Amino acid sequence: MRPLRLSGSQPFRQQQGVFIMIGERTNVAGSPKFARLIKDGKYEEAVSVARQQVENGANVLDICMDEGMIDGVAAMTRFLQLLASEPEVAKVPFMVDSSNWAVLEAGLKCLQGKGIVNSISLKEGEKAFCERAATVLKYGAAAVVMAFDEKGQAADFEDKIRVCERAYRILVDKVGFPAEDIIFDPNILTVATGMEEHNNYAVDFIRATKWIKENLPDAKVSGGVSNISFSFRGNNRVREAMHAAFLYHAIHAGLDMGIVNAGMLEVYEEIEPKLKELVEDVLLNRRADATERLVEFGETLKGESAVVAEKKEEEWRHGSVEDRLTHALVKGIDNFIELDTEEARAKLGRPLAVIEGPLMAGMSVVGDLFGAGKMFLPQVVKSARVMKKAVAYLTPFMEAEKAALAAAGHEVKAQGKIVLATVKGDVHDIGKNIVGVVLACNNYEVIDMGVMVPAEKILERAKEVKADIIGLSGLITPSLEEMVHVAREMERQQFKLPLLIGGATTSRAHTAVKIAPHYSEPVVHIVDASRAVPVTTSLLSDENRAEFVAQHRAEYDAVRKMHAAPQVKTISLAEARKRRTPIEWKAEDVAKPEFTGVRVLDDFPLATLREFIDWTPFFHTWELKGVYPRILDDERQGAQARQIFNEANALLDRIVSEKLLRARAVYGLFPAQAVGDDIELFGDAARTESLGTLHFLRQQANREGSEPCRSLADFVAPREIGLGDYVGAFAVTAGTGLKELADSFRAKHDDYNAIMAEALADRLAEAFAECLHKRVRDEWGYGRAENLSPDELIHEKYRGIRPAPGYPACPDHTEKGTIWRLLDVEASTGIKLTESFAMWPGSSVSGLYFAHPESRYFTLGKIDREQVADYAERKGMSVAEVERWLAPNLNYDSGR
Amino acid sequence: MALRIETDMTTARQHPLVEILKTRIAIIDGAMGTTIRTYGMTEADIRGERFKDSKKDLLNNGDLFSLTQPKMIGDIHRRFLEAGADILETNTFGATTIAQSEFFVDDPREHGGRKDPAFYQKVIEDPFLKKLAWEINETSARQCREWADKVGKETGRPRFVAGAIGPLTVSLSNSPDANDPGFRSVTFDQVKTAYAEQARALIAGGVDFLLVETIFDSLNAKAALVAIREVFDEDGVELPVMISAAVGRGGETLISAQTTEAFWNAVEHVKPLSVGLNCSLGPDLMYPFLEELSGKANVAISCYPNAGLPNPLSPTGFNFGPEDMAKYLSDFAKAGLINIAGGCCGNTPEHIAAIAKALEGLPPRALNAAEPVEVSR
Repeated sequence: MRPLRLSGSQPFRQQQGVFIMIGERTNVAGSPKFARLIKDGKYEEAVSVARQQVENGANVLDICMDEGMIDGVAAMTRFLQLLASEPEVAKVPFMVDSSNWAVLEAGLKCLQGKGIVNSISLKEGEKAFCERAATVLKYGAAAVVMAFDEKGQAADFEDKIRVCERAYRILVDKVGFPAEDIIFDPNILTVATGMEEHNNYAVDFIRATKWIKENLPDAKVSGGVSNISFSFRGNNRVREAMHAAFLYHAIHAGLDMGIVNAGMLEVYEEIEPKLKELVEDVLLNRRADATERLVEFGETLKGESAVVAEKKEEEWRHGSVEDRLTHALVKGIDNFIELDTEEARAKLGRPLAVIEGPLMAGMSVVGDLFGAGKMFLPQVVKSARVMKKAVAYLTPFMEAEKAALAAAGHEVKAQGKIVLATVKGDVHDIGKNIVGVVLACNNYEVIDMGVMVPAEKILERAKEVKADIIGLSGLITPSLEEMVHVAREMERQQFKLPLLIGGATTSRAHTAVKIAPHYSEPVVHIVDASRAVPVTTSLLSDENRAEFVAQHRAEYDAVRKMHAAPQVKTISLAEARKRRTPIEWKAEDVAKPEFTGVRVLDDFPLATLREFIDWTPFFHTWELKGVYPRILDDERQGAQARQIFNEANALLDRIVSEKLLRARAVYGLFPAQAVGDDIELFGDAARTESLGTLHFLRQQANREGSEPCRSLADFVAPREIGLGDYVGAFAVTAGTGLKELADSFRAKHDDYNAIMAEALADRLAEAFAECLHKRVRDEWGYGRAENLSPDELIHEKYRGIRPAPGYPACPDHTEKGTIWRLLDVEASTGIKLTESFAMWPGSSVSGLYFAHPESRYFTLGKIDREQVADYAERKGMSVAEVERWLAPNLNYDSGR
Repeated sequence: MALRIETDMTTARQHPLVEILKTRIAIIDGAMGTTIRTYGMTEADIRGERFKDSKKDLLNNGDLFSLTQPKMIGDIHRRFLEAGADILETNTFGATTIAQSEFFVDDPREHGGRKDPAFYQKVIEDPFLKKLAWEINETSARQCREWADKVGKETGRPRFVAGAIGPLTVSLSNSPDANDPGFRSVTFDQVKTAYAEQARALIAGGVDFLLVETIFDSLNAKAALVAIREVFDEDGVELPVMISAAVGRGGETLISAQTTEAFWNAVEHVKPLSVGLNCSLGPDLMYPFLEELSGKANVAISCYPNAGLPNPLSPTGFNFGPEDMAKYLSDFAKAGLINIAGGCCGNTPEHIAAIAKALEGLPPRALNAAEPVEVSR
């Protein structure tokens, strides 16, 4: 026979010769106590009924909500969802029991494992039967099939086997239902009712069971056992004996399972011989007066108190209070938690000592077990809920203690507040939610900010609520960088809170090496939800914090030493140069400009520049996120956007008509040739009169696939090709006069228009760069045919690029110095370079022009020592100086 | 009402892949997400023209690349095929209305609200999300189909496309509310609806199989399997189904904590072409659970683990290089545990090439290798 195989969170497999006990106490029809709990909405207590059944050995739980006053679908759903959070219960398979199909289907939607549907039958005809069976199969459950058809319940042997055989053939042949998942319930009907035709019901059931097992391959048989003794209700002694004896015979005939009260079963051998004989006379229909004899004898037993204890005193209750608390936390048992917590409080004197002592020790055990794969997340959450109860019990004592302290003039600490967020760019938060639940259960106030939260919002909120700790979560690799960013921001803003790091790709090593160095306060990696509480508690504890932090710092120092100089995989500079941008150099791709040398544009018409403005970044400045012009019609921000747009244009009108700003530019085009990763510039077409050299860096990360290792030098024809290429340079500003304009507003306390003027000057400078680039493309020859709209210009749909030093393709800001010398920028336009090579006034743009069709923007990424040394040599700078300018690009620890 | 449940087994058996699985270990491709990252794509690249004004960051919504950077995605598919993959996975891990809502719908938690069934009802009815999810699935399926057929033709070796159905960002087994373990933010029917649309679009795009993978939460997976069954019945189509769970150190599904054999019992009725483990644990920690599954499930066994545990300090973000993966997977093969092998997060085309090379010539696990389930009465 193929055994019945089911599952909850654990597998269940029918064992040879072992009767499957289905717990019946979670059935509102069978247990008035359970029915009352459900009706009163006391689901937590109802869950403990389920747990008792499992503790008493039930293999499967029968769950039934069929009662007039109960909304079956809602109650079934809610109860099963609660059981899913109860690990000790969720491990067993569930039997969803209802006469209402909607309730059965609702139940199926809550089972992660393979459960049993109780029941389907031919009562409403073959079509409905087939449909329901197919649905049960679709959800992957086994099914109890009642011996019931269109004509009614099958009571005698012939009817039972006829209906069962018909159902079996339909299920196996038509529906394709696995035979081993068919569980027949050939109706256990009440005997000893005084009606003669009922006397053979037990015998009929037992015979039908035997027949089914012999004739319907792999099918199983089950039954609701307590029905058999219904006429003896109130007399548990007799009922238990009847159940035990009936099961003995039915199991012998092949009964696989039964719905029983798992805590209330007598052992067949232990039934008193006299009682056993009388009971068997009734069950096996051995004599006509069997019922009267049993009723008579039963009366004599009524006085005896023979209730089998539903629950034995658990052995673990005999341990020390510390052991009991640990046991309760690990097993998630909350029945005695208040009792034990009080005992510990009396023993240790202070409520906080209980939390930081035995309760934390218990949670550490939970953490260890989880780390070792011996406990699972739902169990950890369950443990946290028990912890919550203990803490809740202690809270009034702590309040009293605080009040006493405050009365004595001491400072009192409030409940810990923790801000949790999944960082910007990341949407994963199931793990973080669990941490939130665990922390909330431990009496922390958790402010969960959700997912994709930018650093500034996290920090703003932390300040606003006066958080004690910030916890960051992320699952994907890019989140790690964002966490570094948050740590840097916390340092910059002089935060004093500890920072917790968690999520699947985070690690202790990464936290120690990459995140912690950016922030002076403790940055602690939390390996899993169970560790959140011990760490948080230590960090917020007056007594333990210092020791914890010292230990933590020592540990992370050790980790950092082990991971000195972390690296991206780079390839050698020689190899990278071999993988330069593959350009097939052709004369037609190398455009000859109509002039070479330097040109200056002063007082460029602002009205022209206005046409080239890309307004989208302007709105970003004002924290309005969206794209122009659509943002003007945006449902949420449209009104605001239209207002500032109108005001900006009003100011712009004034700027243009009154010439409040002055736009100036200088640009030049020069004969050039690439030599290695440098570009040499010349004053003559013969390329003999050197004007200087531009130095570039080359991508060195080992990129996969066919991606080349790019350098800007790749986009200019190499000397050896001899094609006579050119390079351009430019600097523009729209900031001349800006300071005066902004100051004039500020003098009138009009900060709004001051900022507006600055924002517009920035836009005009960018517009100038775009406009000038267009002009240069025309003068270079290749641009005249492009015929692009301003919008297409904004999206840079043209040939050629204008990268700026300090941006990703050439991150070295000092190259601006070469542009300034080449174009004599300061004299022509007034734009100065600061000592850190920033441009002043701010509303300025500078860069280089490359014209080859294959030229494109890219990001340099990490480079190694070899290239830094090579670059320093080419630039005539010291290695240390280069390292300082290129710090973010170094793939090694430069020792600073 | 279709009473056609018997037929899925036949479909699975008749599929040409089944013949291949009898003779050798088939190779499934590696990770899309971690491989995309090596292309240095930016936020602007994933947005392209189409999503340029999207309010939330999209860079980590890797499925969108199939729409905005088809050339790069095609390049990755091609490289995996050239590395020796028999089976390509579509780039549709998060291509459901529910998963996409994370990137396109305002999060009610930012305004003091919460995500609940009312919120997700709007999500699954949102025309933009529905259209987008459909388009990602269908487009990615077509792209994979084209590459699989092209490389298949060129090499004379048939290649197959598995429609990837991922785990979602919500859980049907877990309550996000500390005070109410009975709360769920989403309903079974909502999850089922989202999955049904995904399955339909993948089928429309021409996939060979449906692959319900990276199962953290068995109830989510069940909703996907019910959805697939309903789509098959309603549309009169039938494709083989592959199933793959992501388990933790105790062999349990990561969110719903169901152990391996319990999981198999819960999905066996689908009669899948294969069942297996992917993602989560690296291969070094997977052996006992793979062995358990191989001993219980009489279908093909698949295994495509992460390249070890996440290690942010390594270039791929994961511990193991191609040779490490090749070694572990050939150990599994030598132990007779697997029929389908490949890699999940952190596995690049180089990893897949190394795995394919190492498994060449190694015999596959017998498809009926599981222990017999008979007991005598």
